[in-house]
Amino acid sequence: MTTEARLPTRQLIQPDVPQFDRRTLKPEARDALTGLLLTMADDEFVIGFRDSEWTGIAPMLEEDVAFSSIAQDEIGHARVWYEMLAQLTGDGADRLAFHRQPSEYRHARLIDQERQGWGYTITRRWLYDTADSVRLAALAESSFEPLAEVVAKVRREERYHLMHLDKWLERLATRPGTPRGKVLSALKQLAPVALSVFTPLPGEERLVEAGIIAAPMSELADRWLATVNPRLTELRLRCVPEGRPPADGRDHAVPSDAFTALWTDFTSVARLEEGVEW
Amino acid sequence: MTTEQPPAEGRIAEAGRLGDGADPGVWEVFRQEKDGDPMRHAGNVRAPDRELALSYARELYSRRQESVRLWVVPRTEISDLTDPDLLQPPLDRSFKKPGGYVMRDKLEVAKNKAKERAAETTNE
Amino acid sequence: MTDPISLEPILSPEERPTPTFADPGLTHEQRYDAFVEHVHAGLKVEARDWMPDEYRTSVLRFVEMHANSELMGVLPEREWIMRAPTLKRKLALTAKVQDECGHAQLLYRVAEDLGKPREQMYQDLLDGKTKYHNVFHYPTKSWGDVGIIAWLVDAAAIVAQQALRESSYGPYSRTMKKICWEESVHIMHGRDVVVTMMNGSQMQRDMVQEALDRWWGPLMQMHGPRTDPAKDRDLFWRIKEKTGEQLRQEFLSTYVPRLWEIGLSPPDPELRLDEAAGEWRYTEPDWQELRTVVTGHGPMSQERLDFRRLNHDQTAWVRDMILTASSAAA
Repeated sequence: MTTEARLPTRQLIQPDVPQFDRRTLKPEARDALTGLLLTMADDEFVIGFRDSEWTGIAPMLEEDVAFSSIAQDEIGHARVWYEMLAQLTGDGADRLAFHRQPSEYRHARLIDQERQGWGYTITRRWLYDTADSVRLAALAESSFEPLAEVVAKVRREERYHLMHLDKWLERLATRPGTPRGKVLSALKQLAPVALSVFTPLPGEERLVEAGIIAAPMSELADRWLATVNPRLTELRLRCVPEGRPPADGRDHAVPSDAFTALWTDFTSVARLEEGVEW
Repeated sequence: MTTEQPPAEGRIAEAGRLGDGADPGVWEVFRQEKDGDPMRHAGNVRAPDRELALSYARELYSRRQESVRLWVVPRTEISDLTDPDLLQPPLDRSFKKPGGYVMRDKLEVAKNKAKERAAETTNE
Repeated sequence: MTDPISLEPILSPEERPTPTFADPGLTHEQRYDAFVEHVHAGLKVEARDWMPDEYRTSVLRFVEMHANSELMGVLPEREWIMRAPTLKRKLALTAKVQDECGHAQLLYRVAEDLGKPREQMYQDLLDGKTKYHNVFHYPTKSWGDVGIIAWLVDAAAIVAQQALRESSYGPYSRTMKKICWEESVHIMHGRDVVVTMMNGSQMQRDMVQEALDRWWGPLMQMHGPRTDPAKDRDLFWRIKEKTGEQLRQEFLSTYVPRLWEIGLSPPDPELRLDEAAGEWRYTEPDWQELRTVVTGHGPMSQERLDFRRLNHDQTAWVRDMILTASSAAA
């Protein structure tokens, strides 16, 4: 059986995450960094999940393929963050992703609910990706080199997401009637949780001190508002209300029904048997 | 259906036409496999504008990083020439091609004659 | 200096013939006969060529069913994207399903250029007027199915698809080459999933065998019953090159040994290679089941169409918006 592979059949899989020694970090900074990475990994994991649900059923076939790539990129980003965490904590990446209880996840409330319709999906992704972009920018010059290295790669992929999503938001927002209406209603629904990406993190002062991150979350929230609100205004959409990011924006002690259902699904095979390889 | 089916009508399908009257939502995609290669036609995508056309071309024709360059061209902008009278005109044009110069026999003769002349000179 | 004779040769007219059937000066009968001669000589037909109606409708039907199958084939697998047990498997499965969508796009585009609008093809599919391959009418029950489908269903499909690379219809033949190239990774992924499980626990091995037990019947039916090549119009037009039986034999020759070698057994006591005849023997597949299923009466036929219809309706507003944008830009 012949195949027309133009790629070499055996490709060297380069690790995305450079090996590092966790002892190069002071224990307090290390704990705070672990906390930060967990929020980032869980954010990408959950949003990647929700968006991969569109695979096969997106509004147009061409868009289906494009959107699926974006979802795969997010899962890929989740994977690198989990792999960094694995080096910091000694836990495996898959273990972290699949073997925690729902209450232990630390994703932002912004992305907690189901994907709903296309208008809600685009609006939410736009809010999330612009926020993530501010967060990544604050890590781009991180004093912790392995992190800066990975962030640089991730940002290059995210650039395409932002372009694509902004174009879609514009397309929807500037079309009167149903399209614009969907965006407006999504913004209304999401306004209360929009700032949850910037929920303050325990020990984040250590990260700022050590130069691992450029500024605390509350300041990043302000930077984000300064970039998104002008764009929303330009599109004649409701701005994200100014305010402090909620303290419980990543708290899932009582997980939502939506997330519990998602968790039940994504862990259903992984929980069948402990310690086996899939 | 059997092979005894009488020939039915025939026609040219208009849906795939190029140039004027073509479907404005279709963009033809050209790709370059690697540095130095020419752009080659790869297929087509449906998109409402140029940006999305490029985006979709990337997805459909470079998802596995198999292209180093992509072009998209609206189908309405492509002109198609297939007229055999223009592309394959019937009269002899062998003078335009290397294969039109068959020299082997002539060359044999010339070589032999040169040998003969050389031999005559030595004999003198 | 390069000898000019050794440079890329310019083909003589005899080596690159102009299709005679393109000549509008001929009678219809002459064009038809020239067309038949053309495809029987292994030459290609392009989208904007003159073609007999029967050829065009046959290619369209063939490609449309293929496109429908890619589109419907997405559904059994996408629910498992949500349940993939590792990050790597989730990525691989999402990429695989994405490929199926990409293939559907390529194939619908080919069909559209033959004159049928995409929206009409979707409607006919949802209304049950057009068909899709039998294997996509069955439920999936476990992660074992994911491995079996990705490995064996895709393998059976690839056997057919490789033969289609030589199809007389140019756009379809080129699309099949691209699809075959992309599908090769699916089989690798599927086999990897199965082998990993066979190396795992008893629960995992049982899961795979159980999935194989359920999928073997549909797999054997997939290439269709033995037909008389002389009566097969798709063969006549060289739209396809091989019979269903040839494809099934190819599939069995490659994949049965690979199943046996890792300890999996297809649930057919009659299955064996007849060395003397060079052919695989097997229990005759249930052709009645195949007929029932492809006419929309399979276990998941309606549920999956309903799901598609629901999504299609819910996202209609997006397509309407895009469509009016396209016409405005023209």
